[in-house]
Amino acid sequence: MLEAILLGADQLFTFTTMLTMLVGVTVGVIAAAIPGFTITMAIVLTLPLTFTMPPLQGVSTMLAVYIGGYTGGMISAALLGIPGTPSAVATTFDAFPMARNGEPGRALALGIWASFFGTLISTLVLIAAAPPLALIAVKLGAWEYFSLVVFALTIVASLVGRSMVRGLFAGLLGLLIATVGADPLMGVTRFTFDLRLLSAGIPFLVVLIGIYAVSQLLKEVENPDQVQKGRQLITGRIEFRPFSALREVLKNPINLLRSSMVGVFIGAVPGAGGSIANLLAYDQAKRGSRHPEDFGKGCSEGVIASESGNSATSGGGLIPMIALGIPGSAVDAVLMAALMVHGIGVGPRLIMDNADTVYGMFMAMFVAGAMMLVVCLLSMRLFLKVTNIPKSVIVPVVLTCCLVGAFTLNNRVTDIYLLLGIGLVGYIMTKLDYPLAPLVLGVILGPIAETNLRRALMTNEDWTLFFTRPISAVLLGLAVISIALAIRYHLRQNRPRPEDA
Amino acid sequence: MSDANHNARSLDDRAHIDAKRAKAWGHIIFNAILALLFAFMFVRAGELPSSMWEPMGAGTFPRIVLAFLVVFNVMIIIKELPSLKQTSALSQGAVRAWLIEHRLAFGVLILFGLMTAAVPILGFRWASLPFLIVCQYLLGARSTKALVIATVIALALSFGLESLFRHVFTISLPRGMWG
Repeated sequence: MLEAILLGADQLFTFTTMLTMLVGVTVGVIAAAIPGFTITMAIVLTLPLTFTMPPLQGVSTMLAVYIGGYTGGMISAALLGIPGTPSAVATTFDAFPMARNGEPGRALALGIWASFFGTLISTLVLIAAAPPLALIAVKLGAWEYFSLVVFALTIVASLVGRSMVRGLFAGLLGLLIATVGADPLMGVTRFTFDLRLLSAGIPFLVVLIGIYAVSQLLKEVENPDQVQKGRQLITGRIEFRPFSALREVLKNPINLLRSSMVGVFIGAVPGAGGSIANLLAYDQAKRGSRHPEDFGKGCSEGVIASESGNSATSGGGLIPMIALGIPGSAVDAVLMAALMVHGIGVGPRLIMDNADTVYGMFMAMFVAGAMMLVVCLLSMRLFLKVTNIPKSVIVPVVLTCCLVGAFTLNNRVTDIYLLLGIGLVGYIMTKLDYPLAPLVLGVILGPIAETNLRRALMTNEDWTLFFTRPISAVLLGLAVISIALAIRYHLRQNRPRPEDA
Repeated sequence: MSDANHNARSLDDRAHIDAKRAKAWGHIIFNAILALLFAFMFVRAGELPSSMWEPMGAGTFPRIVLAFLVVFNVMIIIKELPSLKQTSALSQGAVRAWLIEHRLAFGVLILFGLMTAAVPILGFRWASLPFLIVCQYLLGARSTKALVIATVIALALSFGLESLFRHVFTISLPRGMWG
């Protein structure tokens, strides 16, 4: 084992590998900061560039892009209220209000440190617990997956904002949007109304960009007097104090650890990923907090939970890939492809046959995490300058980037029409006080829920299996507890206070 | 002084009542349209083929979701109806004032719609260039210096971005009738 570690270190700590990793981290941060440009896209574009590199250098460079990307998505989420990647949706809930309250530097610094610790914790778990965790993840059948999605859907209850009915409506609308296009099992087209526009369905990322970016940008220009006078996104003096943020993050050890573990577990479940981990970690932090009423108003606990949660999926996703050869997400599938291009067979024998590469990957995770920290801390002052740009520049520029992002997802012009339509719906919903996060969650979870519900009943028509299979029963039990707690919280919030009487 | 305060407060109250009533109408219209659409989709989903291999067909899951959606639409409408009873009719000029307040948002939306429609015909470069210049002008770039900056930004974003995607990422953005 020691020999393999030393061999891996020897391959990893070379000048060229360190240089390509540094470039990878920087590219990941910048790419993910652009709304519509996902981490998966960045990784896919990096893949061909790694073909000429030695195996460990290629994989390490891609891991660097991966880890940089998870932090980069936070930048536009905090400064513009637009998640740069799907895994930064929950980051907008508190980082954006914090920035709007005149503390964009604090929001970014908290996010960077939380991401760093999330990556660190997930890598430690990856090293220690890869085999047992992978075995649990693989035992999940269609019943457990469906129950997991039901549990994740209960998060909606805590994202609903002031009105439970409107929040649940938004979540259901998300589930419906996900059903447009080909049905996941039979391929039958649904709700396309013979329109070419809808024939391929409504891509999740188009929904995300339309709902968040377009509607948020239109909201930004609602006050003509302020906009036309050249008002900036955030006014007032901007401070960036990374070490004070570090102390703040370390004062939340339970939140940090819980959110990171949520990220590791969700990352280890094939098919789930950063987008679910980000929301689930936020939800758990809100439920566990002594001040849940502060969430959504610029609360540091929310920023720490969402960012450590999504970053921790990077290590979690590698668990089933390294231990069993099953990719946890699309990004892990590309990483697998990179290993296979270099002739390294991925599967249960990977750690036995290529121990040096695997230990090298573990070390690369630590190195990439540290590089991300340094790159972000040094460059955040530059990113904070975004806040000095007047809205008259930001709004058209970001809208153009959104259009490019929506088109490049599938190279389809029809996707930009969908972007416009969904942006308009998002804007109407914002004006009518509908929360948007449940809708996004519905779109993410809809296809997973439907596929696994139908697959489970196809395997065995006995629906009681959802309650009799142990892991499925535990997950459903957690869902019931989660709903009960959310109802209790809402009743407490709506109860008239003595001073109101 | 107290008269001025009283007038200001009554204007605020009036604006608050108008906003509440307008929002209630907004919900009722929005949710009524959606309820009809979802009811129609519910019927259409029933016509989707079932499978002999599984108890649930292609239409079962969407029908469950649609049924809940119709119920929620009706619930939201019922919840908003009392707001109409509690508030008096919108004050004169309230709609006009709202439209004036949102003129930039609608302006940007129309420009974005025009760019979206023009992309397949003119290509990304020539559709985004005027959008970026006109939108910046609309949002306040009026001085000569600001317009020069706006033009430079527009050129960098339209031609520059297209070139970046074509040459670096090997992704071709729509080129329109100029192929």
